[in-house]
Parts: sequence; structure tokens; C-alpha cells
Amino acid sequence: MKQRLPLFICLVVGLLMVIQFYIPHPVSVGFNSIINKWVVILSAFALVLGIGNLVSHHISKIKKAKADRWYSLVTLISMTLMALVGLVFGIGPDSLYQKIFLNILTPLGATMFALLAYYMASAAYRAFRVRNIEASILLASAFVVMLGFMPIGQFLHPYFPQVAEWIMRVPNMASQRGILFGVAFGSIATALKIILGIERSWLGSGK
Amino acid sequence: MKWFEIVSRIDRRIIYSLLTIFVIIPFFLKIKIPQNIMPQTERLFKFIEGIPPNDKAVMLSIDYTPQTMPECHPMAIALLRHCFKKGIPVLGVSFDPQAPGLAVVAFNTVVDEFNRQAGSRSDSLIYGRDYVYLGWKSGRVAALIEMGEGITGVFPKDYFDNATDTLTLLKRIVNYKDIALVVVLAAGDYPQEWILYAQTRYGVKIGAGLTAVMAPKYYPFLQTGQFSGMMSGMKGAAEYENLLVRYGYATETGKAEMAMNSQTLVHLLIIFLIVIGNIGYLATRKESVKRLNG
Amino acid sequence: MSPDPWVWIGAFLTLMIFSFLYKDNPLYKFAEHLFVGVANGYYIVFYWHQALKPNLLEPLKEGNFLYLIPLLLGLLYFTKFIPKISYLVRIPIGFMIGWGAGISIPANLQGFIFKQLEGTVMTPVSFRRIGEGISSLLILLGVICTVIYFFFSKEHKGILRIASRTGIIFIMIGFGASFGYTVMARVSLLIGRIQFLFGNWLCIIR
Repeated sequence: MKQRLPLFICLVVGLLMVIQFYIPHPVSVGFNSIINKWVVILSAFALVLGIGNLVSHHISKIKKAKADRWYSLVTLISMTLMALVGLVFGIGPDSLYQKIFLNILTPLGATMFALLAYYMASAAYRAFRVRNIEASILLASAFVVMLGFMPIGQFLHPYFPQVAEWIMRVPNMASQRGILFGVAFGSIATALKIILGIERSWLGSGK
Repeated sequence: MKWFEIVSRIDRRIIYSLLTIFVIIPFFLKIKIPQNIMPQTERLFKFIEGIPPNDKAVMLSIDYTPQTMPECHPMAIALLRHCFKKGIPVLGVSFDPQAPGLAVVAFNTVVDEFNRQAGSRSDSLIYGRDYVYLGWKSGRVAALIEMGEGITGVFPKDYFDNATDTLTLLKRIVNYKDIALVVVLAAGDYPQEWILYAQTRYGVKIGAGLTAVMAPKYYPFLQTGQFSGMMSGMKGAAEYENLLVRYGYATETGKAEMAMNSQTLVHLLIIFLIVIGNIGYLATRKESVKRLNG
Repeated sequence: MSPDPWVWIGAFLTLMIFSFLYKDNPLYKFAEHLFVGVANGYYIVFYWHQALKPNLLEPLKEGNFLYLIPLLLGLLYFTKFIPKISYLVRIPIGFMIGWGAGISIPANLQGFIFKQLEGTVMTPVSFRRIGEGISSLLILLGVICTVIYFFFSKEHKGILRIASRTGIIFIMIGFGASFGYTVMARVSLLIGRIQFLFGNWLCIIR
């Protein structure tokens, strides 16, 4: 029961969703519409899992009195305060919530990603080596694209941007499409395995 | 220490400092290098150019986050300027929860800019009549499919808590049939989902403004026509800004174009670093072979 | 310099994160944990204001009792944290996973496989111009060889070896192009922060 019911629900919903795609009858369309509205709601509830895990992780850190427990406190307090600010005062464009988003969340998130520029430069210098033919091809393609798409490319040679564009449009596109086929077939196979109950890892451990 | 040992052991702090300097310096130099425009950006521009005014809407799926804002925000600004100048109604929507705060900023920036110059109510941009920002919704795939049946069903309220069925624009723009083009501005797999779930079912036309990391992956969709054009990274945004100036929709380019000189210089720095790294590597290898033989 | 205290807060937080370039330190750690906390607080509010309230609570208030089903299913997510009945969380997960799998099959077939095959197949139109014809031929060759490279059910010997070797060349060109684009992307993010620090905060660039 603990496993069969969820597997049965998965099978029925999965099959119905495949079938309804090919039946444009108003009943099928109406059914699809109801299910979609439910999914919008259920996806919102799924946040509970993420927040619950985060809170229990940090509470256990505080309880165990680990060295960095004060930082866990920062996370829990800032989360509660931000949630209260939004729930009590609203989320309008001039709200405190929006101000915190723009002036605290935005610079923090943006700067964390900006650090990647430094690591990328350092890694390119240290690890990008022409050890074999494949690596040399990769390097050549990278150089052409890097120069071709910058305004300076056209001054190096008028055809530079066109060559870079051709690399993107032909060999790059062909390899990306090959990978895409692999992903698409893989997704279909996994989806079938899930619907038919062959792939059950989503049930987690326990009976 | 031999020369090749020096060039192959540059300290990371030197690399970090060089990178910072190379990004900053161009902002103080007044150099303008003309931008070459890639065909896919022009294709997107021309598609929007061909949409008749006050008819179907353009939907902007604003799904970039603060992490990718420097690449996609200038795209949103440029697209909004283009649509509003042409009198095309715009619907904004987001599926990334971090996007709405930035979407509101993009709309406000361009709307304020237009309304400062407007002489009367008729040539002002009015919320609900000329543009609507629907806000964010969870379960994005379900929402994408459901908007094909009716936009207000998925978004009973807009971002500002207005009932959407009371807004003038949404009485006219009911579902994808009334959308001339959806432009997805994103860093993740959002454009792919628009193709899979909105285009395959409802045939909606899709354009994209992607971060440069994502762009190479999406070239297959340009060739098949599943994308009606694409902007790639900051460069794509700078190209669109240039097209707006070229076609007389703007007098000057924006933030993306301003950053292109830094981009160029840093690209040269990275190439230089890779080259000297490899020279050091090859010389060291040659030296060790010589030592082994000798 | 900007007179706006919010901009100053943003600038200091930016510098706190950048301090990690020197080494890991308490300022960075504080900023990092603050980010996680504020981001999750932000999500809670958003999920309430933009999804649960308009799409569930208000229809229920209007007497649309069909919405009790997603409400009940959604509440089952909370059982995850009640050990005795935690298995019930599998019901909404099963619903969502089944739904996702079901819709993805026809979508992948129509949107990816059929359309991309269509784009790969050559027709006489592909040869209207010789350059375009050669490109179409290369695309066809590249797609087939890339797929063969990732085909592991048969040992890569003979013709398969040649094809997979050709495939790796296409893949390397693609990865090189991706690297070039990644440089542009990462640098853009740094430029964004520099524009903020020197423009919005210090007001010395436009």
C-alpha cells in the first residue's frame, strides 16, 4: 500500500497525460486544464520540502553547537525576517520586500556569480593545455569564437566574424543537435520507466 | 628560475588583479568600436519590426535572475523600448521566482522614460492598456500549457494584485492566438520548455535572449525555425541596442554596448593567458624530454 | 558617491563577497549565509502571494471545492516531517512525477526529435547555393557522428571507430565554442558588478 498507491497514481496520471496530448476533444482539453491548475498549486507546496530541509539542517547545526553555528543563526533569522516583511507589508514595487530584494539579494547573488570570472581566468591559464589533437581543436575553436564575436574581430580580418558565426551555425550546431538527440531519447526512456514503475528511486528508502 | 618556469607559474593574485584592471580601464576611455551584428539578433529585431501596432501582443518571459542580470537586463530594456516605440502591447510574465523584482525594474525604467516625453494621455504608456506584468507562477510547465487555453486562468491576479479579467489588454489578449511572439529572456532551460510545451501544442512563435553560456546549445532551434531569432549574452544585447539606434528608435546605445570594450580587452587577456600558459607548458615538456635523453 | 543608504548596503555586501578572492573569511561567510536566508524568505513570500493565494485560496473562498483535491495533496507534503506517516509524501510526489513523465513523452517527440530530424535531413533546396549545400552535408555528418560517439552498446571498431573519431572533432569544436561563450558570460557578470560599484555607488562612471 505504501508503495503501490503512489506507483498506481504515477502510472494513471502519466498515461492520461500521454493520451490527452493526442486527443484534442473538449473533454480531454478540459481535463488537462484542471490537472494543470492543480500542478501549479502542488508545485508551490513542494517548496515545503526545500525549506523544511534547510531549517532542519541549520537547527541541527545550532543544536550540535558546531563552530559555524552563528552563521546558521544568520540564515534562520534573515529567512524569518524576510518572510515576515513580505507577508506583513506586501510585495509591491515600492515595498520594503522589493528594496531588500534589489539591495541585498541582488548584489549578493550577482557577486557570487561574478567570482566565477576570476576562477575562469585562473583555470584557463592553468588547465587549458594543447596536450593532443582534440584539445588543440577545442582551443582553436574557442579562440576564433572569442575573437570573432568581439568588435575587434572584424579589424583582425573582415571574415573573422563570419568564420566564428559559421562555427556556431555548422559544427557547433551539429554536435549540440547530436547531444540533444541523446537527451531527448534518454528523457523519453526515463519517462516510460517512471510511468511503468521500473524506475522507482523517487519513492526513496523505506517500505 | 628559467623564463618558462616564470610564465607557467604566475600567481593567481596577479591574474585576478589584471582581470579587474582590464575590466575597469575601458570605462574611462571614450573609444567606440563599431559592433558587428549577428544574423540571429537581426532576425529577432526584424520579426518584431514586422508586428503591426495595436494588434497582437509580444509576451516577454522575464526569467533571468540577479546572477545573470548584466547579460539579460539590457535585453529586456531594449526589447521593451522597441515594442513600445512601435505601439506593440507587451505582456510580461516570469517563471523564475527571482525574476519579478528585476522585471518590475525593467518595465518601470522604460515606462518612465516614455511617459516623461509623452505630451498627452493617448501617447503615454498606461498599465492595463498598453502593458501588463502578470508576475510569477509556480509549476511553470503546467502554466505554459494552460496559458494556451487562457492567460487569466493561470494568472487570475497580476503582480500588482489586480484581477486580470478587469484589465483592458487582457480582454483582447486571451491566449497564445493573440500573441505574435514570446521572447524568453533566461539563463536556464526555460526556452526549451517554451518550445516543448507551448510551441508544440499551440504553435506560438518564440524568440530568445539567452546568457552566453546557454546560447551555443540553442543553435539547433534557430536552424529549424523553432526560434524566430536569438540574442546571445551581453554581445546580443549590445547588438540589439545598436539596431535600435540604426533604425531610429533610440538616440544612444545602453549599458551592454558600454561594456563591450571591457569584454574585448578581457577576451584578449584570456587568450594571452592561455597562450603563455601553453608556451610555458611546451617549453617545460621539451626541457624534461631533453633531460631524460641527456 | 551615492547618497542612497541602500546602495551603500549593496556595495558593502558586494565587497564582502569579493573578499573571498583573498581567502575564506568571516565576512564572506556572513554574506553567504545571509544570501541563503534572505533568498529562502523571499521564496516563502512569493509562493504565498503569487501562487497559493490567487490560485488556491481565492478559488476556495469562491466555493470552488474541486480545489480541495490539490489542497489535500499539497498538505501531504508536510507528512515528510512526521516520521510515522512520512510515506504519505509519496502520493503528491507520485502525482507530480507521473504528470511530468506523461507530458514529456509527446513533447520530446514533437519538439525535439521530429523537428530536429527535419532540420537535419537534406533536400534539393539545401543545394541551392553550393556553400549552404556543403554546410548541410557537414551538419548531417556531424549529427550522425556525434550520436555514434555516444552510442556505447557496440564496441567502436571499424567504421564505427572512424565515425566516433569524426564525432569527437565536432564535439570538440562545439565545446570550444561553448568555452568562448562562457568567457563572455562570466566576464559580463563581473562587468555588471564593476558598473554597480563604480557607477551606482561611487558615481565615477556612467
